[in-house]
Amino acid sequence: MRRVGRNLRQTPVLCSAAIGTVAVALMIIGFFAIVVINVQQVAQQWSREIQVVAYFDKVPDTHKVQQWKTKLEAMAEIERVQFVSRDDAFKRFKKRLGADADLLEGVGTDFLPASLEIVLFKDNQNKLGVESVVQQLKQIPELADVSYEPEWLERFDAFVGLLKVAGIVFGGFLLFAALFIVANTIKLTLYARREEIEIMTLVGGTPLFIKMPFLIEGALQGIVGGLLALVGVWMVFTLVLQEGLYGILIVTGTDGILFLTPPQQWGMVFCGLILGLTGSVLSLRKFVRI
Amino acid sequence: MIQLYNVCMSYQKEATALQEFSLKVPKGDFLYLTGPSGAGKSTLLKLLYGAVKPTRGQILINGMNITRMRSWRIPMLRRKLGIVFQDFKLISTRTLFENVAFPLEMQGKKRYEISNKVYQALKHVGLQGKLNRFPLQLSGGEQQRAAIARALVTDPLILLADEPTGNLDDEVTCEIMELFKGANARGTTVLLATHNREIIRRYPRRIVALDKGRLVDDHTP
Repeated sequence: MRRVGRNLRQTPVLCSAAIGTVAVALMIIGFFAIVVINVQQVAQQWSREIQVVAYFDKVPDTHKVQQWKTKLEAMAEIERVQFVSRDDAFKRFKKRLGADADLLEGVGTDFLPASLEIVLFKDNQNKLGVESVVQQLKQIPELADVSYEPEWLERFDAFVGLLKVAGIVFGGFLLFAALFIVANTIKLTLYARREEIEIMTLVGGTPLFIKMPFLIEGALQGIVGGLLALVGVWMVFTLVLQEGLYGILIVTGTDGILFLTPPQQWGMVFCGLILGLTGSVLSLRKFVRI
Repeated sequence: MIQLYNVCMSYQKEATALQEFSLKVPKGDFLYLTGPSGAGKSTLLKLLYGAVKPTRGQILINGMNITRMRSWRIPMLRRKLGIVFQDFKLISTRTLFENVAFPLEMQGKKRYEISNKVYQALKHVGLQGKLNRFPLQLSGGEQQRAAIARALVTDPLILLADEPTGNLDDEVTCEIMELFKGANARGTTVLLATHNREIIRRYPRRIVALDKGRLVDDHTP
C-alpha cells in the first residue's frame, strides 16, 4: 500500500485521467440505465393493462357466471376474472363520458353487453399467453365475442424485445469502449513508469510483486471513478434528468421517474472496480515481462 | 560458479550473436569480457541474468541450469546477481536511498534492515551524504557509484557489469574500478564487459575476448 500511495502521488495527472475516464464512461452508462429503467417501468405499467374481455350474447344467470369464473380462474395463465353486468358496464361508460354523460339520456341501461374481464399473470401478459387463453374461451358457446387487440399486443411484444436488445447491445458497447479507454489510460501511466518496471525485473522483483501495486492502483482508481460517476449521475438526475424525463414520459401515464436502486448503485461502483482492474491486467501483460 | 557449454544464441535466423561458446568461471574470479561492438558481450551478460534464452547449449550458475529454468524462477536467480549498466538505470523519480533500497524491498526485507544495509552500501561508495538526492542531481560518476551500491547491497554471488565506465572520464573510471576490485576481494565473482583497453592494462585480470559471437582468446596476463 505504501508503494501504491507513492505511485499515486508521483503521477497525479495520469492518475486523475484514469479516474476521470472511468467516471465519464460510467456516467454515460448510468444515464442510459436510468432511461432504460424508466422506459421499462412504463412498459410494465402498460403490460398491467393487458387483459382479455369476453362478451356475452345473452345475460347469463349468476350460478353459471360463478361456474365460468371458477373454471377460468383454474387456468394457469389467468390471475383473476371479473364479471361486469350490463348495469355495471353502463355505469362505467357514463362515468367515462364525464361531462358528456347527458348524451346517454333516453338510452336504456341494457344496451351494453355483459362481459368477463380476464386479467392474466405477469408472465403470460404477451401475445402467446393471450392467444392461448383466447383459444380456450372460444370453446364456450355462450360467448359472442372475445376482444384482445392482437396488433397492439404484437407491437408491445416487439417494443419490449427491442428495448432488451438495445439495452444489451448499447450497454455492452459502452462497457467495451470504457474498458478500451481505461486500459489505454492505464497503459499511459505504465508507460510513464516503464523505467521503474524494467529495473524492478532486473533486481529480482517477481511478476506478482511488480504487478500488485498497479493492480491495487487500478482497482482504487476504478472505485473512485465509480463513486464519482454515481455522484455525477445523481447530481445531473436531480438537476436536469428527472424533470426532462418526466416531461417526455408523462404522456405515457408514468407515476414518477426512478433513480438507480441501491443494488444498482453498488453495481456501478463494482463496475468501476472491474473496469480499473481489467484495464490494469490488460496493460500489465505487455509491460511486465521477466 | 559459472559454466557455459556450447552456447548458441541468435536473435533472428540470420544474425547469430553467440556461436558454440563455452566458458568456465570459478568462484571469486574477476574477468573482462572484451571485443568490438557486436562481438556478443552484452548478449552473454543477458544470457547470464536470464533476459534471453540460448538457442542451444547449457548455462549453469551456482549449480543451477538456467536454460531449463521456468520464467517464474528467474527473479530468484537475479536476487543472487548484481547488475550494473552503462546508463546506470536508476529511477529518476526516486531518491538515492530509495533506488538502492529497491532490491532489498523486492526481497521483502524488514525496514530497519533495509535502512541499515542501504546506508552501509552508500557509505561504501562514498555517497552517504547524498541519501536524499535524486539521480539527476548527481554527476555521472556518482550515479554509477549509486548503481554499484544498488548492485552490491544484496551481497550478490556474481556482479555483472555491462560497459560500466563507458560514459565516464578516466578519473571516475578509476574510482569505479576500485569499487569492483573491492567487491571481488570480498568474494564476489565479477564479469565486466568492456572494450576499454586502458582499464584492462591498468587493472590486469583474466581476459575473455569475443569476436562475432565466438571465443577468440582466454588468458590471464
